[in-house]
Amino acid sequence: MKDLKRIFGLCVVLFVAVLFHLLAQGQGSGQGAAGGKKAKAGAPQKKNFLISRPVPSPEAVERGQKLFVTQCGFCHGARATGGESGPDLVRSVVALRDEQGELIGPIIRKGSADKKMPPFNMTDAQVKDIASFLRERQQAAINRGAYPLQNLVTGDAKRGEAYFTGAGGCVKCHSVSGDLKGIGTRYTPANLLPRFLYPGPARFGPQPGDKPPAPTMVTVTPSNGQAVSGTLEQLDDFTVALRDGAGYYRSFARTDGLKLDVRDPIAAHEALLSKYTDADMHDLLTYLVTLK
Amino acid sequence: MNLRQLLTSVSALLLPALLAGQGLDLSKLGQPPTDSWPTYHGDYTGRRYSPLKQINQSNVKQMTLAWVYRSTPPPGGGAGSVVKATPLVVNGVLYFASPDHCWAIDARTGRELWHYSWETSGGIHIGNRGVGMYKDWIYFETPDNWLVSLDAKNGKERWRLEIADVKQEYFSTPAPIVIKNHVIIGVGGDSLDVPGYLESRDPETGKLQWRWNSTPRKGEPGAETWPNPEAMEHGGGMTWVPGSYDPDLNLIFWPTGNPNPVMSGQGRRGSNLWTASIVALDLDTGKLKWYFQCSPHDTHDWDATETPIMIDGEINGQPRKLLAQSNRNGYFFVLDRTTGQNIVSTPFINLNWSKGVDPKGQPIPDLAKEPKTDGTLVMPASGGAANWPPPSYDPDTGLFYVNSAQSYSIFFLTDTDDKPQGYGGRDQSLLSRSTLKAIDYKTGQVKWMHEYPGRAGGGPGILTTAGKLLFTGDPHGNFVAFDPADGKILWHAQLGANVGNAPITYELDGQQYVVTGGGDSLYAFTLLK
Repeated sequence: MKDLKRIFGLCVVLFVAVLFHLLAQGQGSGQGAAGGKKAKAGAPQKKNFLISRPVPSPEAVERGQKLFVTQCGFCHGARATGGESGPDLVRSVVALRDEQGELIGPIIRKGSADKKMPPFNMTDAQVKDIASFLRERQQAAINRGAYPLQNLVTGDAKRGEAYFTGAGGCVKCHSVSGDLKGIGTRYTPANLLPRFLYPGPARFGPQPGDKPPAPTMVTVTPSNGQAVSGTLEQLDDFTVALRDGAGYYRSFARTDGLKLDVRDPIAAHEALLSKYTDADMHDLLTYLVTLK
Repeated sequence: MNLRQLLTSVSALLLPALLAGQGLDLSKLGQPPTDSWPTYHGDYTGRRYSPLKQINQSNVKQMTLAWVYRSTPPPGGGAGSVVKATPLVVNGVLYFASPDHCWAIDARTGRELWHYSWETSGGIHIGNRGVGMYKDWIYFETPDNWLVSLDAKNGKERWRLEIADVKQEYFSTPAPIVIKNHVIIGVGGDSLDVPGYLESRDPETGKLQWRWNSTPRKGEPGAETWPNPEAMEHGGGMTWVPGSYDPDLNLIFWPTGNPNPVMSGQGRRGSNLWTASIVALDLDTGKLKWYFQCSPHDTHDWDATETPIMIDGEINGQPRKLLAQSNRNGYFFVLDRTTGQNIVSTPFINLNWSKGVDPKGQPIPDLAKEPKTDGTLVMPASGGAANWPPPSYDPDTGLFYVNSAQSYSIFFLTDTDDKPQGYGGRDQSLLSRSTLKAIDYKTGQVKWMHEYPGRAGGGPGILTTAGKLLFTGDPHGNFVAFDPADGKILWHAQLGANVGNAPITYELDGQQYVVTGGGDSLYAFTLLK
């Protein structure tokens, strides 16, 4: 079951990625605010692919945020993205080159007459906390894999139901009182949307009770042999491999006489991908969310 | 024989040996590659076509493994451990790189001659496309944006220069391209809205010769395509894939990356020149001669960083100097490379984001398919219909070959601020299927295609040869030889890992080799003796 293995592998990768995101959010780099779950003290600070600089401690970020909002936010904006009179500090070259306050400290304390920035009386520790908060803001912008999604349930459930039973053809394989019973409670909208569009590896993180999609079935008939059926393990231009009903792995060279019958149970989902309008997609999601 | 005659005879005997010991003979640069592969694309056309034909349709079935080189230690693990570099071959030595690492190995045997390691200070370690060479010097770029020059003889560092700031989230993957006395270097990095540029540097000293900014500065031409100076100075447009060069026009043709913020366009209304474009720059000055914007106001991460291939072809019976590209956004473009005038704009996959093309041949984006907070379903995905892996053009068939992806993704807008930052959105890929396509450059029509079985998108680079062979990898770890005329499979070998670069070929001692990456290793194939 190469596909299943791959899916399992992807699940593991995604699970690890989600852990990283949770850790990163715990360290205050969630885009929403510095108020996520806190990482255990002393837990190793694992880096993700996009973040190559040290992640500041959530405590320092929290202290820095409070200071920033009260002292700096009026001009630079509460999120440090700039305001009426102060520049953006998330993408500021000085703030990016700064490590622990050594570059921004002198500016904070001296102010800038030509930019009409007054001096602020801050301790070294406070400057460091501000630097931690700015780093957290920068890493929140960099860490796109953790950007939170907004409301996805914007469609019309009635139209979604009509699509489900009509144009979408979903009822050919699915039933709202059978396999899809309670699907609206099993998944968040962000998980449900990609799953119904194309069932596959876990998206936006694994969910409890996740099941891999039904395997692809295949029947192989060698030119002078008996047909063998099973779940598809591997298919390329040169070989086909399956696991038969008894659990044995069988592989065959794809020679000219070999007949191949591949039955992909989710082919209908693929066919719909180029047919959906965005309205269909939103309506269908909104309908599925109502299936409690 | 007098003394002078004796000396002359001895010199004559020694001369070939001396030459063989030397570095790159610069006259080889730009010539069709035979006993060497001295620059990223083999020559400057970008077509990756070799005139070699010892290995051909009649004997390709006898092709066998000559050597394997595993690039241990795995450089950084993850995506960075896959060999994405196109190796160079000069005087029987093969040079290639991965993030933070550079190697010289014997092109006949795979034996390691030296291995240079760089101590990194950060940057995204996603890949390295290879090295550049000038005489005895090797150049490569690191993820933390240093241009490092090595002595090709022994891998000793000559000098290092910082070419971009890793703390601003630049990272560098390109292969430097050496043309005359210019080392052309691009940069990358689109995490935090930095402006792109392309530089030319002196091969001996690394001194800056010129810099071209891929977004305008205040008051410059092109500024009218941005709402304000802040937007264009944070506008992206990275230069991370090597372009091509026409010596007659003395122009380099360079593709540029997506604009920033990547998926939220509300802070950068306008077409956002010169991002997601193909630009023609004067080799000696870096001055812009013409541009063609492949994705005006892109919001889907569709860098135009796919190789623009030079074709000396014919349109309506007239000989034309052309430039062809299979773009990440799903369009196949053909331009007149003297003027930049558009000749062909034809989709090569099923796409749904464009309302056709404008009078200049540039696609018109459908605003309804920009990322939205509740998602839009778009073909292709952000990874694109094609990407950086180099395509090929075969002058014998007149066809342009690309491994294409029919892919689908939901694009979400996550940052609705007037001044978004970073990506400002994300996409969730749903499905991708990979197909090798042979495109008629005159029309953009697909002459033949080969769909690889399975759910796997994209595909690696391509090599075509005068032996009437097309080499590439499939999504299942096979290295495959196709008939470029009709797509028939003629030979394959299972490498155990996907090809991650583009194959090359060269002939030494009357023996032709074909070398490909597969995972973290290089594999060389040749004919049984």
